[in-house]
Amino acid sequence: MSDATLTLSPTENVIRPQTQVDGHDPSSMISMRDIWKTYQMGTEKVHALHGVSFDIPRGEYIAIIGPSGSGKSTLMNLIGCLDTPTQGQYWLNGKNVSEMDDDELARIRNQEVGFVFQTFNLLARATALHNVELPLIYGGVGSTQRHEMAKQALKAVDLTERMTHKPNELSGGQRQRVAIARALVNHPSILLADEPTGALDSHTSMEIMDLFERLHSEGNTIIVVTHEHDIAERAHRVISIRDGQIEKDERIR
Amino acid sequence: MERSGEHDSKPQRYTFARAVPALIKSLPLFRLAAIWEAFRVATGSLRANKLRTALTLMGIIVGVTAVIAVVTIIKGLDQTVAQTFSSQGSTVFTISKNPQIIKSREEFIKFNRRKDVTHDDAETIGRLCTACWRVGIAANAIETVKYQDQKAENVRIRGVEPLTMFDIDGVSIDAGRVWTDSEGAAGRDICVVGTDMLKNLFGDAPADRAVGQEIRINGRPYTILGVLEPLGSIFGFSRDNVIYIPYSTYQKAYGARRSLVVFIQVPAAEQLEAAEDQVRTVMRTRRGIGTNDKVDDEGFALETQDVFLNLYGAATSNIYIVTIGVAAISLVVGGIVVMNIMLVSVTERTKEIGIRKAIGARRKDILTQFLIEAVVVTALGGAIGVGTGFGLAYVISALIGFPLLVSVASAVLGVGVSSIVGIISGLWPAWRAAKLDPIEALRAE
Repeated sequence: MSDATLTLSPTENVIRPQTQVDGHDPSSMISMRDIWKTYQMGTEKVHALHGVSFDIPRGEYIAIIGPSGSGKSTLMNLIGCLDTPTQGQYWLNGKNVSEMDDDELARIRNQEVGFVFQTFNLLARATALHNVELPLIYGGVGSTQRHEMAKQALKAVDLTERMTHKPNELSGGQRQRVAIARALVNHPSILLADEPTGALDSHTSMEIMDLFERLHSEGNTIIVVTHEHDIAERAHRVISIRDGQIEKDERIR
Repeated sequence: MERSGEHDSKPQRYTFARAVPALIKSLPLFRLAAIWEAFRVATGSLRANKLRTALTLMGIIVGVTAVIAVVTIIKGLDQTVAQTFSSQGSTVFTISKNPQIIKSREEFIKFNRRKDVTHDDAETIGRLCTACWRVGIAANAIETVKYQDQKAENVRIRGVEPLTMFDIDGVSIDAGRVWTDSEGAAGRDICVVGTDMLKNLFGDAPADRAVGQEIRINGRPYTILGVLEPLGSIFGFSRDNVIYIPYSTYQKAYGARRSLVVFIQVPAAEQLEAAEDQVRTVMRTRRGIGTNDKVDDEGFALETQDVFLNLYGAATSNIYIVTIGVAAISLVVGGIVVMNIMLVSVTERTKEIGIRKAIGARRKDILTQFLIEAVVVTALGGAIGVGTGFGLAYVISALIGFPLLVSVASAVLGVGVSSIVGIISGLWPAWRAAKLDPIEALRAE
């Protein structure tokens, strides 16, 4: 089985006997065990992921890198709880999300995951403030508190002056900062960024990466999915994916 | 890795049949904020697509307008009819040669073979009917009336006898006087006019200015003795476009060989049936038919105002049925249009749905959003329909001349029914949106 089971101390074994059975390391923010994702293509079965296992502790800054078709996007969708694995166990902040139904997954995405997308994915007709408030609306936060939290999140990305602007009135970098504020507003367990600089020029890219670094230093757990090595190198640990398997998992800093 | 294939296994399928009870079960759990968000999005997207919204609304507007206008107009007519006939009351019935309503050509031919109702018939009824209170006769002609160079056309000339016919008709004198019995019996050329004559012949002069003036009816001069109180109009026909003359005068001018109508009034509605029986017996005897004989045709028509009221009731209920049919068709078509537009809207906004799902919107949040959007469209259509319906009813009531009765209940019903159409036609598109896979949806452009 996985090596995480071996690292468990006897004390932990006594306190939480089921963790050993599940092979789940309770100290990790993310714990993936033998994850498979299989798609049916016509009569053929295609394994997008076969037997992926890793742990991400709280507060880590990690990059997942791999060429297109490597299974990196599939992995990102699983980490972000947009999808469930065909086989295997996925623990996120102590919750087994691998067997949840759609609405439970929506709840987890709302509370535990902050998404940052390559193309920002903001609502075009809503102001920056409203975009940031959106996760709180679905989280059932009252309007006064919602407003306050959204303003704070925008302050954290230095966009207080622009909060009444709509996305088309903002630059690419500003839009991505709105998206980051939206991702952070619910204080999620992980910040999951999919090619966050893919639509930005190199100067703005550096600004965004600096922002990630700052957010990491403030204690956030950050996962960046990318195919660019210089972006991946800003992280503290890099997991390389190839052909649906982990090729390399190295600490670089 | 592209996900173009189907999922290998899915623990629970989100079927349409399962979505509806789940939605109802979770109704109390809906978050107010999410519903408000749905409202914002709905109104925002309707504003962003004004032309499309307008076209979507058409079917609903037409349906609701039709219902509201017809209901309002018929309510107004009902009131007019009720008021008009209560002024005479249900204590009057008539004997005539032809009934008021002739249903076919065969009937017309049959009625024309009947004997005329004569002055003698009326006299016999008056003598033999003990349950009768007032008995009078009336005969009508339509004439052109002139005063100096003024002219009034299509005026109803009503020859009546005795003077109690004024009471049976429910009219009273406003200025001047009626003729005396001896003046009437002498057949003098005198008359009492309705208020339309003031308007049409005397340039809206006050009633007492017309009294004593001489007018010409079909070339024959008459002196105006009095002017009647106005009665108003019904269905756009004035009831004041009338001139009363003594029956003896009418006979001189138009001859005695015209069938007339006998009016019989009883003191109270309870005596109506007894009086009708007596009069029927008298008339059957005079037409040579035994009281209990079974005959094809009695040779006369005995009618109360119920005949007209029944006809009116049948006509309006037919109008109601036709209107409800038209409304139902437009609402169904409107609902299909709304469903179609909502499906387009869901397709167009797939990306937005993906974003919302990624940040934590559940299926019911998305379902609610699109349902609310559908209901906002149809309720708006309903509200506009109520407005235009009342507007149309207002114009028609002003043209025809009956009171406009705006009912809150029909307005609520109009908006309510169209909202239900919204829910029904929004359910399928909203469910399609709710079950979208967030990954697929995010990939949409």
